[in-house]
Amino acid sequence: MASPRTSAIREKLRKQRRSLEETLVKLKHERDDEQALVSSSRLSEESLQTAMKEAQSSEDDAGETLKRTLRAQRQMRRKKLLEQISAQEFPGDDVEEISSARHLSDDEGSAKRTTEPPRTILHGRGASPQAPKSRTSQKFDRFVTRRLEEKLRAARSQGESLQRQETSVVGASRLQTLRERLRFDREADSDGDSGPQLMPRAAGARVKFQEAAGRAEKERPTTEEAYNFFTLDFEPEPEEKTSEKGRKQRESGEDGGQEEARQRDEVEDQNQDHNEEEEPLVQDEDGNVFVIEQTAKDFLEVRSAEYIGLRALARRHRALVYTPSARTVPTSAKLPENVRPRYLEEEGLYVGERPAVTPTNENILENRILKMEEGAKWFGDDGRITALPDPIKESSTRPPLFHLEEDLDPALQTVYRKPLKSKHASQYIAGAADPEGDYQLDLDVSGLIFSHHPLFSREHVLASRLAQLYDQYLSRQRNNLAEHLTDKLNGLRNTMRNMLEIHSEQNLSRAMQQRIVEYSAEIKNTRQLRDGEQEKDRMLLKNLIKVWKELKALREFQKFTNTPYKLYLRRENVDRTSDEREYEKDVLSELWELEAEGEVDYQRKMADYRRQLDEWKAWRRKQKSKKKRKKRKTQDETEEEDQGASESEGPAEEEPPKPELPQKLDFDAIEQQVRQKASRIRRKPGEAILIPELTASGSISETELCPRAEVARREDVARRAVFVNILYNDKEVSQTNSRALTSDFRVHFGQIFNLKIVNCPRSITLQVFEEAGSSCSLLAQVYVPVPNSSVLAANASVEEFEFSSNQRVMFDHDGVGSDVPLSFAAEGSDNVILLTSGKVSCCVCWGVGEDDVPLAPPLSQNAAALHGSAGHSDAISHIGPSGDMKKMGEWVTQSRLDPNDPKNASIMQLLKVAGAGRVTAPDYFRLEQLQEEFNFASDDELARSRRFRLLALRSQEVPEFRNFKCVPSHEREVTDKVFQDYEKRLKEGEIIDTKEYLDSHRALVAKYLQKIREAVIHRFLLASHNFLLSDLVIEEEMPCFGGAHLQRVPDRHLREFSEFLEMRSPKPIEMTGRAELLMILGLNLFHLAEPKRPLKPQRKERKKVTAQNLSDGDIKLLVNILRAYDIPVRRSQSSRTVVAGRHPGRRLARRSGPGEALRGGLLPARRLPNHHRRRAQPLLERGAAAALSIDGTFKVKTPAVLLGYSKERGHAHGLANAGAYDAMRSLCQGAFITLFITIEPQLLPGDSIREKIKELKFDSQEDERLLRAAERFERTASAEFPGRPCATTVVDLNGKTVFITRYIRPLNPPQEVLADEPQESTAQVARFVSLIPSLPDRVSYAGICDLWSTCDQFLTLLAGGEEEHAVLLCNYFLFLGKKAWLVIGTAVPEGSSAYVLTLEHGRYLIWNPSDGQVYGQYDTFCPLQAVGCLVDADNVWLNIQEQASPMRISFDVSRASCWRPFFTRSFPHPGLSSVQPEELAYRRSDKATAAELQDRLEKLLRDKLMEWRPHRPTRWNRYCTGALKHILPTLEQGAAGGGAGRDLAEGHRHELQNLLGDNRIWGFPLHMAFSEMAPVVEAVHSTGVHTIHAANAEFALAVYVHPYPNNVLSVWVYLASLVRASRDE
Amino acid sequence: MAELHVIGQLVGAAGFPHGRLFCKWGLHTGGAWRVLSGSKQGQTQVDDPQTGGTAYWSHPIDVHYAVQGLHGWPKMHFQVWHQDSFGRCQLLGYGYCHVPSTPGHHRISCATWRPRGSWQEELSQMFVGGGPQLRSPDVIYSGADRYRLHTEAVGTVELELGVIMRHFDKYGVDA
Repeated sequence: MASPRTSAIREKLRKQRRSLEETLVKLKHERDDEQALVSSSRLSEESLQTAMKEAQSSEDDAGETLKRTLRAQRQMRRKKLLEQISAQEFPGDDVEEISSARHLSDDEGSAKRTTEPPRTILHGRGASPQAPKSRTSQKFDRFVTRRLEEKLRAARSQGESLQRQETSVVGASRLQTLRERLRFDREADSDGDSGPQLMPRAAGARVKFQEAAGRAEKERPTTEEAYNFFTLDFEPEPEEKTSEKGRKQRESGEDGGQEEARQRDEVEDQNQDHNEEEEPLVQDEDGNVFVIEQTAKDFLEVRSAEYIGLRALARRHRALVYTPSARTVPTSAKLPENVRPRYLEEEGLYVGERPAVTPTNENILENRILKMEEGAKWFGDDGRITALPDPIKESSTRPPLFHLEEDLDPALQTVYRKPLKSKHASQYIAGAADPEGDYQLDLDVSGLIFSHHPLFSREHVLASRLAQLYDQYLSRQRNNLAEHLTDKLNGLRNTMRNMLEIHSEQNLSRAMQQRIVEYSAEIKNTRQLRDGEQEKDRMLLKNLIKVWKELKALREFQKFTNTPYKLYLRRENVDRTSDEREYEKDVLSELWELEAEGEVDYQRKMADYRRQLDEWKAWRRKQKSKKKRKKRKTQDETEEEDQGASESEGPAEEEPPKPELPQKLDFDAIEQQVRQKASRIRRKPGEAILIPELTASGSISETELCPRAEVARREDVARRAVFVNILYNDKEVSQTNSRALTSDFRVHFGQIFNLKIVNCPRSITLQVFEEAGSSCSLLAQVYVPVPNSSVLAANASVEEFEFSSNQRVMFDHDGVGSDVPLSFAAEGSDNVILLTSGKVSCCVCWGVGEDDVPLAPPLSQNAAALHGSAGHSDAISHIGPSGDMKKMGEWVTQSRLDPNDPKNASIMQLLKVAGAGRVTAPDYFRLEQLQEEFNFASDDELARSRRFRLLALRSQEVPEFRNFKCVPSHEREVTDKVFQDYEKRLKEGEIIDTKEYLDSHRALVAKYLQKIREAVIHRFLLASHNFLLSDLVIEEEMPCFGGAHLQRVPDRHLREFSEFLEMRSPKPIEMTGRAELLMILGLNLFHLAEPKRPLKPQRKERKKVTAQNLSDGDIKLLVNILRAYDIPVRRSQSSRTVVAGRHPGRRLARRSGPGEALRGGLLPARRLPNHHRRRAQPLLERGAAAALSIDGTFKVKTPAVLLGYSKERGHAHGLANAGAYDAMRSLCQGAFITLFITIEPQLLPGDSIREKIKELKFDSQEDERLLRAAERFERTASAEFPGRPCATTVVDLNGKTVFITRYIRPLNPPQEVLADEPQESTAQVARFVSLIPSLPDRVSYAGICDLWSTCDQFLTLLAGGEEEHAVLLCNYFLFLGKKAWLVIGTAVPEGSSAYVLTLEHGRYLIWNPSDGQVYGQYDTFCPLQAVGCLVDADNVWLNIQEQASPMRISFDVSRASCWRPFFTRSFPHPGLSSVQPEELAYRRSDKATAAELQDRLEKLLRDKLMEWRPHRPTRWNRYCTGALKHILPTLEQGAAGGGAGRDLAEGHRHELQNLLGDNRIWGFPLHMAFSEMAPVVEAVHSTGVHTIHAANAEFALAVYVHPYPNNVLSVWVYLASLVRASRDE
Repeated sequence: MAELHVIGQLVGAAGFPHGRLFCKWGLHTGGAWRVLSGSKQGQTQVDDPQTGGTAYWSHPIDVHYAVQGLHGWPKMHFQVWHQDSFGRCQLLGYGYCHVPSTPGHHRISCATWRPRGSWQEELSQMFVGGGPQLRSPDVIYSGADRYRLHTEAVGTVELELGVIMRHFDKYGVDA
């Protein structure tokens, strides 16, 4: 069925071949010489080539592979094509040919079979249509190419040889050669042919190729080759060749008479084709392969899935696979011949259970093993396969968890917690992770016993001593340590004796000797312990009896009894003989032991002695020989040399001391010692055992029978009562009932307090208070340890905690007092000083909830469990490596250590001995012995490290190191200098430097203030670590008006302090509705329509700048002087106002302000009044004032006398014409100036630390209810009236919150300032108060908080803020019988401040406590701008009027519509006691100190003035100075005396003017309260008097210090400059 | 004196059944370790991953230790919590890992586990939240009899720690 197309192809092929042949012929000619060798050397040549090929193939690179693939694909295509053709044309012939070819190779290796693929390929290639097609694989490709290349070479040579031979027989011979070559190829390639497995298909063909086969056999491959041949994978490439060959054959057959050359041509063509692999195959076929049209049908063939029948498969496998039989193998087969099976079990040996294997499997295994080489070795003696015992355990090793709850270690127990929002915003139990946090501490205060009390009578003292001794006796008796040790000693002795008896001396082994030594050491040790204990017991008993006797004697002496104690001594008779025997035995055995010890000691000493003696003797001998040698030398040499030598040698060796013979022990002496000791510490033999019994059965004498002093004492006792305050974390939480003291000084409370706690327990303190009448005093504080969280009510025990107080108490009655020497002996020799002491018995445990859940925080939260990791089980982690006895004891009891376990013997022993008695534990006991060995450095070294210290201090935020930036990385770079300041501060904390203060008292106060400041700063630091959400998240609020706040509050878990974590619940998210949004927009639009230039312009808010963005010098202070009134004027001077900063060198801004009153007027070149300046400055610097600007009218403090200045009275009168105004003005004379001060740029107010401080919550002793009410009151106040200060609670100097009304109480002013006339004394008092130096809290405490000191503290400290002044003034006014309130309000320039309001004759007066000025209610110049609330001793009233300005409000607190009281009828005043003292004690004014201060101040100022004028001589006008000095005291009088004094001063001024005649004089007196030197100097400097340039200027300076009571000093400095008038004019 | 400085961050957590995670962490050391500066425990914010399952905290850790001895090398322990939409918190997992003992930068992922309660507890946990928690969180890093606990694995906490060691070689410790 040859289509015309295929024939055309063939035709083409032929042409091609022919052309190729021609080229080949050319090649052949070139290789003629090689060809001669062909037949003989073919084999070697071929193998060589293949070897090369192999090497090549192994390192095929990718390119090569690609090439080959291409080639292979080409091959494939072609193959398919050919296949088709062949299948169509010559099926039969083809098959025959190939099968014969196969058979040929089959012969070669028929014995060995390997794989089958070749066979299948044969099928596919050949006749059978079912056979699968060969798959093209990479390997195959490679193989094919290689093969073809080789074939090319072979074919070339063969072709030539064939040409030469010119054989006529084409088919067979050609095939032969081909096959030969083929086989060699295969062999050399070590790629076996598939031949061997080929099933012979045509028997006839075998005969036909017999010859070839024979030839092949001649050249059998080596074994290795054969092995390779059979083991490697076989690829289907041979078929290809055969098919090609077949094709050739076909072609030859087709052409019929084609010659051999033609065939050869074909081969060459083929070779050529592959030789030039670059040429694509299509070229071969004239590029027609792909042009064939009927593609799919031609190339594809549909076949069924490949399947080989099971049976066929089995048959095929039979030869390859061995299937062991499942039949039982006879035992004989498994054992060596003639061996009978031996069963170990029957012989009684243990044989483990064999793992379970089914018999079938076992049989199969056995059968298989038997077939193996040395299979028999797998079988044991019993004929079964040797097997290990079954490793699988019947039961699981892991304990079953049926009883999960009961068995579980408490540390492992889990608890189901509901997901809850944390109720407590600041939950301080760190890491507890317990949202509930409902912990409860149960505190059972059962009672207290005084072991000493000031009201003890002598008898009580003795009785309590007796009771103590008896307690001690009882506890010793309970432990019975002596008995225990005696038993132990006896046991040891017995053992020792037995040991020695059993082993007679001779055959003591080394180990035994060692043990004996150990035993004797142990005995010695125990004996010493026992002796000590016995001695103590004995002493105790003796003491007990002695005290009892004393007590009896005392009772007899005083003829009454106060205490019910009675001591009975019970006698217990003993058998005398046995007792004696025992005693003797004990003494003897001790003696014997001592002897033995002595003997050992003696032996050792003797040995030492002998050794030393030997050494000494040797030395002597050496010396002698030396001497001899020397003597010999001297014979030869000169004398000098000899001397020199002896000198040089002499001192080099000291003569060792001749040892002394140790003394033999004196046994008699030992015996005596032993007996003495025994009689001292032990009961005498036969002596009855005394058992003391203390009872309280005695009766106390009736009071009537007692002497008067005793009666007084008893009355005093009856008056007293005791109660206990309970402080949790230093905060008072509860208080027991107060119980009266009884005659036995035992108080029973029996109260249980359940403390619900939120904060981590740090301390529980019990404060024992004693009440005597109405006053109560703190006796002592008892610190109760926080219990371990495992301590619950069930297992807690009542413990006794001792307390003592060192208060000195003395009585005039029989009470012995406290801290008072007391003697019982008649002559008063043995004085004892007894301090109040006692024991509180209480019990602290964790509460148990309703469902028996312990309300205790988890274990780890316990502060005690520092190391606490493993809890009970691990001793080391529980106690720590140090081996604290107490902790260890706790641990032993907790872990229920088995006392009988020999492992624990040492610990138990140690505990028993150390815990019970006062025996010191051996200090080598340590639990974690290796810890120290592994330590890098000791604690000391660590502590010494400067770098570490620096780092630690920095992280502790110690002030000196708080902002330490770079800690050097090397130890050596950290110098000690760094710590100098810090250490100095630590060391010299107590040393007072009086140089600066002139007064040790003031220095002390300064130190004290410094301390407070530090405490406050510490608090502040704590607070600054306390972040609020607003600190972390800045959310720009949506611009909105009206109530709608679109606010999104994200969830948060904020970090608090470094150690605390806080969980906060998120606030609900408020969403604004769309309508509201629209409204907002509308409002915004409305704002656009506002007039551009409003009629009444308001100050606009400027952009705020955060402080971080500013560098130094960026801030400007803007001062706008709006107007001034009543300014004194100095003639002929230009008008200017200078506002200078606090530091003279730093003028912040200067601006001359035009004001109405300033027109034509003059303002002296001076600064703002002292106290204003001092306050304004910090306000601005810190930006603490909410408005960040100061706007208001200030009173300029005018000096009493102004030399050279005068007021424009006329102008003032012109103003004052408006009637009422004049009346007011009369109250407040002076100059006023209206200022607006602000800073540029506007600073963002500092973080609202105040709020944070509030968060911090100061401790308080106030009632919780009151505090809550106060908080609520303040909150509503600030909500309703923002910016209106309201204070209900304040912080006292101890940092505790105190209710404000407690500060108000009438207090007596000093007698000196009280005048007869009430009006005058009011002014005097105000002046006195204003003379106390002002120290605004906010300056010293950096704006953190106001600390309110009580009046006595204030007067002691002599420094305080407005509040203190106001409180004191208010209290004084109350004392004077005025109606006075404390006004909390806003004032200029202080900001939030406190003033005093008084009601006099129906008029309300406002007092500025800091300067003693008084203003009427309607005074325009009153610095008080807004009134927040009024405070008196009973209540706080909040101003709820619309206006806050004092002018516009009513001060009538009874009007409910104007004032909201704190205490109402529903919440009445709980009767808060005052924190102020009942009375103030004043120290007399100290004239001497004042005079001294005056001198020093004058000298200092003189020096300073000269210092400020470095280039000019400073001349002092003595005359003027004298005059000024004279004037100053009168000025003081005048100031004190009020208005009357002013005229006096005026008169003096004239006088002065007269005195000085033609001199022009400028100057004024300065007046200030004295705090320290520096402010005075600064004030003088700020006057600018020293700046005068006139050459002939003279100066006058006078200082006057007026003392007031309690060291309050009023300082006057009169400074004047004089210029001679003649020059001036 | 040897020093160990641990600087790094709690990167986040992955593989937990819920979003909105936060983590409480702490460092536990033996007695021979002294903190010179830095806080050794803390808590992260709540992260609610909007995409992907990993909650990122990037919570800084910076602790400086003075080392007196190797005993008790620091280990970090974690508690991963979940805050649900009602603001309630529940425990999701415990875990701990050692601070690496080689200097350099380390990425650590610490697998966490959660105690398993009884079936009633599991059931109520499924519906109303909450869940069993350890009474004593010490168990996280102390291996006392932990085999008695029924736990299940939850997710992993990712850490990045930079470890700086100083002077360890002086004491014969190869770092």
